[in-house]
Amino acid sequence: MLELKNVTFEVPDADSDGENPHRKTIVNDVSFTFETGGFYAITGPNGSGKTSLAKLIMGINPLTSGKIVLDGKDISDLPIHERSNSGIVYGFQHPARFKGTTFRDLLSIAAGTDDEDRLVRLIARVGVCSLDFLDKPVDSKLSGGEIKKIELATVIARNPKVAIYDEPDTGIDLWTIGPMVDLLKREQKENNTTTIVVSHNRAFLEAADTLLLIRKGRIAYDGGLEGAMPMLEDLSVCTFSDKCEGENDVRCYR
Amino acid sequence: MLDATDKQILKEVADLEGIPKGAYNIRKNGKLLGREVSANINITTNEKGDGIIIDIKPGTKNESVHIPVILSQAGLHDTVYNTFIIGEDADVTIVAGCGIHCGGKESEGHSGIHEFQIKKGARVRYVEKHVAIGDGTGRRILNPTTKVFMEENAYAEMELTQLGGVDEARRVNEAVLGAGAALLMTERVMTEKDQMAESKNDIALAGTDSKANVISRSVLKNDSVQDFYVNLTAKAKCYGHIECDAIIMDNGKNQTVPALRALHPDAEMTHEASIGKIANDQLMKLMSLGLDYDAAVNRIIQGFLR
Repeated sequence: MLELKNVTFEVPDADSDGENPHRKTIVNDVSFTFETGGFYAITGPNGSGKTSLAKLIMGINPLTSGKIVLDGKDISDLPIHERSNSGIVYGFQHPARFKGTTFRDLLSIAAGTDDEDRLVRLIARVGVCSLDFLDKPVDSKLSGGEIKKIELATVIARNPKVAIYDEPDTGIDLWTIGPMVDLLKREQKENNTTTIVVSHNRAFLEAADTLLLIRKGRIAYDGGLEGAMPMLEDLSVCTFSDKCEGENDVRCYR
Repeated sequence: MLDATDKQILKEVADLEGIPKGAYNIRKNGKLLGREVSANINITTNEKGDGIIIDIKPGTKNESVHIPVILSQAGLHDTVYNTFIIGEDADVTIVAGCGIHCGGKESEGHSGIHEFQIKKGARVRYVEKHVAIGDGTGRRILNPTTKVFMEENAYAEMELTQLGGVDEARRVNEAVLGAGAALLMTERVMTEKDQMAESKNDIALAGTDSKANVISRSVLKNDSVQDFYVNLTAKAKCYGHIECDAIIMDNGKNQTVPALRALHPDAEMTHEASIGKIANDQLMKLMSLGLDYDAAVNRIIQGFLR
């Protein structure tokens, strides 16, 4: 069980003058309990605080106030690697690109073994990555889809208690999204993984037991997809809203 | 014939557990320690007696030659002139390298002046590692010069590595590429403490459809200094690329100067260069896979210098 207790994340406001720093609240007093083995989808408009919330759980963003408790243990002050070793893993929305480091390196670190058979079995389990990926450098030559598949594999290789996937479908071709949803569902069922997916994609929203709708740093709704539909339609959740919500530019980029 | 230090140095510079198989020439403290030739690879001392000539017969396939240098005599500064002639259509691996063991206060140095003549259609992989070990305080100096002349459709892959221990290094690499020739040169340098390393590269793409790719990876620890210069000159329709990246760990100072010169209208040339600390997103990723900060830094550097 992962509990968020009055979690708040503030950053200095870019417009502040330094002497009188204004603070901008990105995540505002969020409390929520993720039950063990549940499948959760976090959605909401761009800039609503979804990724910031996910990064707070992983420890990439520091908490301004509040507490994060995993299976009864307060992990609020633990650094990233200790949270990871406690069972939380985060799949980045924009995965890091390295020079020289290969998929094999990342997978070996994640799995804690460089045993060839085990790595091959892992790739088979993930399914979406081809074996030829193994010795590819995880660098700027990889396509957006390839690097996201690698990211997914490294999360699953950790056998996490809590797996957070930040927009796992970015750059992924349409016909891979179905298998990807099936994979996350299978991992959830077989390993009782608490699964949290930040997404705008209906396939993930439908797969989730519970949907969290984030708006202006707060949970505006939690429950089933049906109940969220009126609000989602109202928000017209669109990944391009920052581009099309202008006075002069009315073209739809969707 | 080999003492414990020699064996350690051979292991580090040439990955050898003892005397290599096939052709080799081992030089220790300015003198010949051992030599073996093969049916296709001949090694002779040059006329002046200040180096060797490695002559590889045309058509020689899948053979290798090892020419490591061991330096363990305080105060010795050894200069050697080696010539490599790689016959037409040969396909060989040359493992060179120099290891310095410094046990005293006096400096020790080695300057290897290497010239490669790579004949038509020949392929060569040249692996050169420089290491320096020992508890002595004398400066360890390595100043290699590599000149490469590539004939039509020749191919060369050169891996030049120096990972710590060397106090001063001044490297010069020059290459002239004939038509259809391809050169892939990768330099990896890690410096620490107050070490300095300088690398000056001059590559001329002289023949039509020649290709060169120059990659430099630098890691600067402590107060070390590294300067990297590369001039790529296109004299024909050709393709050239330079990629140099430097990671500054502490208070290192780096200068990276890639230069492209097109003297032909059909030249295609690109370069990318970066200097900076280890990228934060890379650290976050590895830490999110359970590595602590130091372990994450080590893995990133290991991959970078691989």
